[in-house]
Amino acid sequence: MANIVSPFEDPERRLSAGRFGMLIFIASLAMIFAAAILGFLVVRLEDDGSWPPPGMPALPGSLLLSTLILVASSITFLRATNDLRRDDGPGLIRWLTATLVLALGFLAVQTFAWWDLVGRGMDFSRHLYAWTFYFLTGLHAVHVLGGVIPLWIVTQRVRRGDRSASVRRGVVYTAMYWHFVDVAWLVLYLTLVAGTLGG
Amino acid sequence: MTTLDATSPNPSNAPAPPVDNYLTFTRGFLSWALTLDHKRIGLMYLVAVLGSFLVGGIFALLVRTELLTPGATIPGVDAEVYNQFFTLHGAIMVFLVIIPSIPAALGNFVLPIMLGAKDVAFPRLNLGSFYLWIIGAVLAVLSLAYGGFDTGWTFYTPYSTTTSTGGVIPVVTGVFILGFSSIFTGLNFVVTIHKLRPPGMTWFRMPLLLWALYATALIQVLATPVLGITLLMLIVERVFQIGLFDPAMGGDPVLFQHFFWFYSHPAVYIMILPAMGIISEIISVHAHRHIFGYRFIAFSSVAIAIFSFLVWGHHMFTSGQSPLMNVVFSLITFSVAIPSAIKVFNWMATLYRGSISINTPMLYGLGFIFLFTIGGLTGLHLGTLNTDIHLHDTYFVVAHFHYVMMGSALIAMIGGLHHWWPKMVGRMYNEKWGIIGFALVFIGFNVTFFTQFMLGSHGMPRRYYNYQPEFQIYHVISTIGSYIMAAGFFWTLYYLVQSLFSGAKAPSNPWGGRSLEWQCTSPPPHDNFKTTPSVGDCYDFSVVKWDEEEGGYVVDRSQVDKQRPDH
Repeated sequence: MANIVSPFEDPERRLSAGRFGMLIFIASLAMIFAAAILGFLVVRLEDDGSWPPPGMPALPGSLLLSTLILVASSITFLRATNDLRRDDGPGLIRWLTATLVLALGFLAVQTFAWWDLVGRGMDFSRHLYAWTFYFLTGLHAVHVLGGVIPLWIVTQRVRRGDRSASVRRGVVYTAMYWHFVDVAWLVLYLTLVAGTLGG
Repeated sequence: MTTLDATSPNPSNAPAPPVDNYLTFTRGFLSWALTLDHKRIGLMYLVAVLGSFLVGGIFALLVRTELLTPGATIPGVDAEVYNQFFTLHGAIMVFLVIIPSIPAALGNFVLPIMLGAKDVAFPRLNLGSFYLWIIGAVLAVLSLAYGGFDTGWTFYTPYSTTTSTGGVIPVVTGVFILGFSSIFTGLNFVVTIHKLRPPGMTWFRMPLLLWALYATALIQVLATPVLGITLLMLIVERVFQIGLFDPAMGGDPVLFQHFFWFYSHPAVYIMILPAMGIISEIISVHAHRHIFGYRFIAFSSVAIAIFSFLVWGHHMFTSGQSPLMNVVFSLITFSVAIPSAIKVFNWMATLYRGSISINTPMLYGLGFIFLFTIGGLTGLHLGTLNTDIHLHDTYFVVAHFHYVMMGSALIAMIGGLHHWWPKMVGRMYNEKWGIIGFALVFIGFNVTFFTQFMLGSHGMPRRYYNYQPEFQIYHVISTIGSYIMAAGFFWTLYYLVQSLFSGAKAPSNPWGGRSLEWQCTSPPPHDNFKTTPSVGDCYDFSVVKWDEEEGGYVVDRSQVDKQRPDH
């Protein structure tokens, strides 16, 4: 099939369209998180009892660790895209790999936090406190997973020495997505923490 | 006008077409199934949407037939089956027909050509959206195999979380996936309009349909994700019964309604905005007159898109919202009338002293203005708090939103289909037959739904299987109207299909349009334009002249060049 794959002849214009498309996509995802967080706030404000309710564990401290890891991964990703711009191959490989390791680390800590809470009797169907916690962190984890897969792919391609325009685009788009996932987590985490304050 | 006789003297019936077009560019099933060409994807959407329209329409006829008499009418259709009929009718028409009909089907076909681009910005994503749509549609229909669903198209809790029918999860999953299809189409259109305008095509030289599709795309991108998360919560709630929407367990059923309408009210504008865009094109082209108040219409589209996010609460005046909220939502709802009315007045001003061609697209355009005005003004009765208390959940609401969704959005879509039909398939339909089809649809529509305004204001509630005998006369008239309308649609299908085989060959510019899609051949070549097209004022029809040799209109280049310095 002699199909044209992209209507852009100029690769620069193609990249700028791709970045713009990613931005729109992120705006769309942001609405998902905004709605989810708003829903949480409504549930929280309509609840007159204490939060967490009696017999339910508080937010685990491991979330603080995962927050630090995710912020760190955003910083390493920034270094990676810097090196991409300067055509620093070894630097790019180093920082992308570091980001990937941190990303997997974040997911590992989140999994641990869930496992820990389940072990301490936080059954999701017992109270909306538990349900909203699992729903929000799970929603976010799914989005992190959706970022880890392309991150893994571009990292592998970069490590194999691929410096094509398509892998460059891949790094740029993944970075944008990754920073979004990072910011979304910070807002989400702060909301969860704020939920436990007062009443 | 055109005749059906293929041998009739027609200058463009000259020997075999010299150029390849997008339909003949490659052949075989895979060349369609894996195509990245926006025109073929648009055509595939069109077939899928019209197929869904047939299914949704059959359910509508079943609903209307059942309501011919109080109580049981069709043997075997009890109240539960009836609930499934109207639910499926609504869900199919909203999610599978009206939402994708103009943006995904017609929009995909015309947007890049109107813009002078070779394709949308992300052709692969575009094909991906199409297949997401197919998966979503299949899941939605598959719900029938799981016992169907009877929640109404709005999936209100607790019906959707606790009723016994098993089809809720498949259909909700299907709609969830359809939402992503819609988001990706919107994303593609926004980026295309931003990044693929050729030199000379400034924002204010874009045809108004593109402004409308742009505003629509913004809503698709920003509102649909909220539907996604809502449906996700609904699925979890139905499976695990956690009580998020159940007050007995600390939840809130009105929370679902807030979330649902935060998407579904903007979705109403996903339906109507592109329809308004089509009307701007049809009215100006077939009146051969420069569109009146271009910027007002363009900005009205954007204004409606913004307002659309602020009025969802008017669906919930009787749900126990605080009176203050009701007043605020009522006021903002009234404000939507302003940009809508601006558009109607501008179309009227465009028609004034125009050289109006009374053909099928124009009749649908005029029909739209008539029906939209009724649909829009009756919306004010529902936006007014005290009258809404009486009219809420009656046939008045049903009539109102059918005037807007069907009488406006769908009528515009069919008008647009006739308008671009020669461009899409390279054949002219029979104009006389088209006018007959319009008459049947228009008369049938008004008989069906105007009656329902009376039904509703007399107090007949919507969605009821049984009713008082005093309402029967209205129901009978309404049902007869729906049969007339159905005849009109089948007739339209017949002559459009027939035109594929024996319609006269379409010239490049059969109507005298000035926007770029009329500059390429009918049907367009695979890559739309051999050379970068020249962009002028797409509503300046003074340079468009009828050319006997061509059998269509042509743009008089010498006139265009003379005008150049003005711009």
